Amino acid sequence: MSGRVFSVILLPTSECNVACDYCFEHKEPHRLSPALLPLLTRRLLDHLQNEGITECEIYWQGGEAMLMGPEWFANAGAVMDQAALERGRRFIHYLQTNLIRYSAAWNNVIHQMFNGAVGTSMDYPNVHRKLFRGGSEAYTKLWTKRLGEARGAGIKIGVIAVLHQASLEAGAERFYRYFTEDLGLDDFQVNTPFAGGPAKKAESGFQLDSGELARFLGELFDVWMQRGYDSGVSLGPFDALIYHFIGRPARLPCIWKENCSNQFISVDAKGSVAQCDCWVTSYPEYFFGNIFREPDLTRMLKTSRARRDFVERPKHLVENEDCLSCRYLSICHGGCPVRTYSARGTIMAKDPYCEVYKVVFARAERYGQRILRRRVAVDGHRSTMTNGPGAAHCT
Amino acid sequence: MDQSLVGVGSTRGCVPPEPDQRIAFVPSDLVMEQGDRPFVVIVRSREELGQWLSHPPAGLQRLEVNGLLADPDAWEPATQSSSNVPLDVFLASPGLQFSDLYRLVEVCAVRDVRVSMPASPGFLRALKLAVALRLPVRLLPGQPAPEVCAELTEAVTFYLRDPMVETPMEFFHSVMAFMCGGDTGSLWTILEEDPALFLRQDPEGRSRLPRVSGSPSPEVSLPTFVETRFKQLVEQDTECTTCPWRQICQGYFKWPDPSYDCREIKQLFSIIKAAADEVRQELAYQD
Repeated sequence: MSGRVFSVILLPTSECNVACDYCFEHKEPHRLSPALLPLLTRRLLDHLQNEGITECEIYWQGGEAMLMGPEWFANAGAVMDQAALERGRRFIHYLQTNLIRYSAAWNNVIHQMFNGAVGTSMDYPNVHRKLFRGGSEAYTKLWTKRLGEARGAGIKIGVIAVLHQASLEAGAERFYRYFTEDLGLDDFQVNTPFAGGPAKKAESGFQLDSGELARFLGELFDVWMQRGYDSGVSLGPFDALIYHFIGRPARLPCIWKENCSNQFISVDAKGSVAQCDCWVTSYPEYFFGNIFREPDLTRMLKTSRARRDFVERPKHLVENEDCLSCRYLSICHGGCPVRTYSARGTIMAKDPYCEVYKVVFARAERYGQRILRRRVAVDGHRSTMTNGPGAAHCT
Repeated sequence: MDQSLVGVGSTRGCVPPEPDQRIAFVPSDLVMEQGDRPFVVIVRSREELGQWLSHPPAGLQRLEVNGLLADPDAWEPATQSSSNVPLDVFLASPGLQFSDLYRLVEVCAVRDVRVSMPASPGFLRALKLAVALRLPVRLLPGQPAPEVCAELTEAVTFYLRDPMVETPMEFFHSVMAFMCGGDTGSLWTILEEDPALFLRQDPEGRSRLPRVSGSPSPEVSLPTFVETRFKQLVEQDTECTTCPWRQICQGYFKWPDPSYDCREIKQLFSIIKAAADEVRQELAYQD
């Protein structure tokens, strides 16, 4: 038993200050009003109370969250945390940003509200993340500068990299070295791409060949195990998978949870509620409701027909797909609904990256077994040294 | 309250217990008659489930939940953490109900949940999904038909050989422990069917024998039922007399039909024994 976790991916704005090729969000000039924040907070706290949950993780994203400014966040954090305290609950805040707007003015709020850490994104090579003026090279240069400034201010940075065709062509070795050596990072993760939202021409380039993608991820796993695992580099989702296979507590990414509908929702600046940021920014037909217009979030989630589809999806998959016979069912459960929807037009099918995931899982399982065997051997050696020959000792 | 659902029988020996040590399995209507003695409530409606979760009486060990898995709205009170009464969720038709196990995901985040199921055709689907959801399982074999025996063989191989299996799967788990030298009690105890320890009552409060309907005849002594029955099987020169697994089995598979052919069951025990021997050898090698 781990206690229930509830998370909200909160989008205070859908506006963005950059022009990435693969962004599928509707970038509307709409921002969350400070006047509505207490109402939003009350709705969330009511829901936590109804569900008997004491802690709620708030993942602030966008659009670009930093467009709201540090003072806005300081005020929002204070309002929400005070309201939670009065009701015996707690919000834990996280910030995901492109860092382009970062300046020293953010340091206090990042240290106080976000525990001194932020998440950001960069690809290697960066060909798709672009400034409105200056393109991808200018983006990379400015982002790298901001990264250095933030780290100089003692902020811990985690980076998400979305893989694309040029990443596969660069190869796992170069990809790994970019993040760990060129940027000096010790915490990053790789995401598989998908074409969310209304189809655009550029998105067709993000459909990667599964075989090539699997090979790249397998090689990246090897590189990380050789150089990063023992030296403290965290590379998601490989690290969580390794922890799982060696019996350590592991928080697997949302795409591999038993049912993501149990664990989080996303709310945008207008109050629209959907399964996650991908849905709330792209697919109005899958909205659960509006948190400002409907007085009871718990009831909304319970009665939403759109949400019922998410709740029932894993059931449907084990009945109708081959998931039940998969040895990795316990760490996948059919994968990500939005990746499935964007590729197949329905969520009632398994993730199109199924075969890729299996390659990664098998790699993690093999490495996990190796680590456990090594541990048994080391412990056995230690016990022999400590207890002398013949001393019985099972590890 | 809050008795663990794992390894319930593992610390119990074969000596008949004092009557007040027994756990009674009672319908909701009989809860008030239990006093302070330990009992399990058998719930069959969402109202009953909500009632005993929100107001657990003294002596309540857990709830045995029957027939509610298909109801998506029944489980909400069980996802609240106001009390942590464990649940034993019974699947009457595991081959058909297996996918409903996803309804328990949020429940087991706040309380212990075990899944119990008969070894009926198609049970392996429920067993595999329960394992994938990290739910402990109690598989009730009864007197399995030949086609179910094949499924049991597949299930035991899955339990013994698949590294993705992390949770206890009874009865395989305790039989394996027994084969490795553990003191587990017999299958009757492991599967909570020994009326000396686990006393089931019908809605009228009459004691019942496992796996049969109706009340036992007056001459049947529940505290010595297993022992007496096994003696009879040996005296009648059934295959129990020479069975290598009689200590752990105690005639479990000869009830209620004493003429049940145990050939496939013996094979099942042999598979577990071979795995236990491997484990012992491996441990000896490590030492």
